[in-house]
Amino acid sequence: MDSRNGKITIVLVVLCVLLGGGYLAYAALGPNQTTTDARPQAGAAPTGVAVMVRAVDPSKPTLNGRVFVVEDGKVRRRSSDLACERVYYAGGRGICMGVAPSGVDYTAKVFDSNFQTLHTIDLTGLPSRARVSADGRYGAMTVFVAGDSYLGNSTAFSTRTTILDMTDGRQIGQLEQYKVTKDGKPFDAVDFNFWGVTFAKDPNRFYATLATGDHHYLVEGDIATESMRVLRDGVECPSLSPDNRQIAYKSRIGTENRWRIHVLDVKTLADHPVAENRSIDDQVEWLDSTTLAYSDGTNVYTVPADDSGESQLLVKDATSPVRLGR
Amino acid sequence: MYQVEASKALLKPRLWAGRAARLRVPRNVVMLGMVSLLTDVSSEMVATVLPLYLVFSLGASPLVFGAIDGTYGGAAALVQVASGFVSDRWRRPKGVAGLGYGLSAIGKVALVGAGNTIGGIGAIIAVDRVGKGIRTAPRDALISLSSAKDRLATSFGVHRAMDSVGAMLGPLVAFAILFVAPARFDAVFVVSTLFAVLGLAVLILNVDGRPPRLRRAERDEAAPAGDKAAPSFRAALGLLTAPRFAPLLLAAGLLSVASVSDAMIYVGLQRNIDFDPAVFPLLYVMTAIVFMGLAIPFGQLADRIGKVPVLLGGQALLFVTYGVLMMGTVGYGALVLCLLALGGYFAATEGVLTALAGTVLPEKLQASGIGLLITVTSLGRLASSLAFGGLWFAIGLQSAVICFVAALALAMMLAAPLLLRAQRAALDG
Repeated sequence: MDSRNGKITIVLVVLCVLLGGGYLAYAALGPNQTTTDARPQAGAAPTGVAVMVRAVDPSKPTLNGRVFVVEDGKVRRRSSDLACERVYYAGGRGICMGVAPSGVDYTAKVFDSNFQTLHTIDLTGLPSRARVSADGRYGAMTVFVAGDSYLGNSTAFSTRTTILDMTDGRQIGQLEQYKVTKDGKPFDAVDFNFWGVTFAKDPNRFYATLATGDHHYLVEGDIATESMRVLRDGVECPSLSPDNRQIAYKSRIGTENRWRIHVLDVKTLADHPVAENRSIDDQVEWLDSTTLAYSDGTNVYTVPADDSGESQLLVKDATSPVRLGR
Repeated sequence: MYQVEASKALLKPRLWAGRAARLRVPRNVVMLGMVSLLTDVSSEMVATVLPLYLVFSLGASPLVFGAIDGTYGGAAALVQVASGFVSDRWRRPKGVAGLGYGLSAIGKVALVGAGNTIGGIGAIIAVDRVGKGIRTAPRDALISLSSAKDRLATSFGVHRAMDSVGAMLGPLVAFAILFVAPARFDAVFVVSTLFAVLGLAVLILNVDGRPPRLRRAERDEAAPAGDKAAPSFRAALGLLTAPRFAPLLLAAGLLSVASVSDAMIYVGLQRNIDFDPAVFPLLYVMTAIVFMGLAIPFGQLADRIGKVPVLLGGQALLFVTYGVLMMGTVGYGALVLCLLALGGYFAATEGVLTALAGTVLPEKLQASGIGLLITVTSLGRLASSLAFGGLWFAIGLQSAVICFVAALALAMMLAAPLLLRAQRAALDG
């Protein structure tokens, strides 16, 4: 059997090399680089509100991930070479988490009001969340770290959340190393994961999600003392309102990976859902003290922060909404 | 002895051909290694890019993938036992293994065609896991039945080393494709499919489904006094109490419960050692390289001095790893020592244990027995992870490690006589 089957095998190998090489050549050089003047299109936006978004169009590498400033339904500015998977901006400095020039790693860039890169930081995983304190002093980034084991068969994911000094691009802390307390007692477990930082008006204070087991705790943190305390369960990707009185967040539906947007009162910790009834996986942004903006992965929408009204399209083909000019 | 003839070894690179010939490893084992290598390139390519793909093309969180993946772990254990038994019952280890490899290949094709919804990807991952569960036991049975009993550990060493080469190459190939054609996940899936199809083709065309030990067993059956019946379910179940195999199964279960999983060890290191997080992925790579380098020499050693001493020696290497975990903050020297010990532990245990099972099990029940062994060890590992996580949570990392040092010492003391009994049975048989 050997010589005939050996020959068939060789023919198959050659065929596969040709097929694979051909497809790869087509993918690398084929007609997918066409540039168009497409851009995020503004929908029904409240007047006088300027937002920064990242454009979504995976089929157009020259457009996908570019940062646009949209105001009153018009595109005011766009970045030419800053391409991001996640973007945030406040107080004159922004964070852009995106693919590194190598094409296979990820980096975060700290940029200024002219989209000029000030600092570059290597990332150790897939970009997930980015936030900047209102004064532009601190930044926070969450990445997904793949913890797959090549000998086992499980592929578990963990997150890593880093606090940045935006003035010099230094990584000044990791939430994984902060001390956590729950009901006044030290709290620690193997499976701690943190994500979704949101900064308070006092930039030293922040809120974030601590996940362990089936729990997703809202924690309140302090950068100076590198500590956090657990406030309540069932809160993911918190986002603090401009007046610091409310927190919009993702509320998980059962144990599924589906979420509704809820808003809770910081004082009473009581919460209510908003009118958006689709599952949303995003860190919500506050346009003002009564309006939320968020993305469903394709478009940016707004919805009132109380339980009234309904969701409205804000910007088409865009994610990562950022309220500007606060 | 069924030896490699260089002229017939058409597919394998010269290095492997030369080494395999020197190692006197049967051609069938090298071909099965090649099948695993190609299949691992294929599946690791997909595993590497799937999180990126989910996040950037589908806008989903990678946690979805973790959830999808974890769901099928338990089901895979049952599939292994069933496929092992079916393979023995039908006397078709190659056919059943081929079904498993084929399912995974179909999964890759489906990714190209319909992998653009979360539900679709979940289903495809499920098919891939089931395929993996189906093929493992009959494939290991084929390796075992292709080798002479005194060369079994070397055979498994060669197979596991080739397997891990594939697992290392997969991510590199995937990244190379994305480097040449950014964001073209379809190209990754197409190339992955081709690797899976090639793996299946090598199995069908170049692996002998009736290897020598199996044929000899069938000849014995043909003799007037031979037992002609295909193994019954009761016979397979009887392995659980068989005086030759039960001690081995019990020892494997004890050892796996007392061994902290590599994932947990990495998390522990991450907490304890003050290194740049960018180094973290390198931990896997370093352990894999150590494993790759040691799998064959440890297999040879096991064939020369006995499988039980190598197995227990490998288990003892875990004490080094536990020691480093207990040290608190440690430097790069200790980190390297820890990874060397971890890679050595893997190289000296899993393949050698399967080889020992292969010598103990009757030819007719090889796949059933190996399926049981895999299931027992993977359930043991699951229990170990739950216990270690719980202890870490309750009493802290250092105390948890101390508990596992004690547990491992106890497990080794209990396992040693059981393993020696199994090895003696193997020598008698």
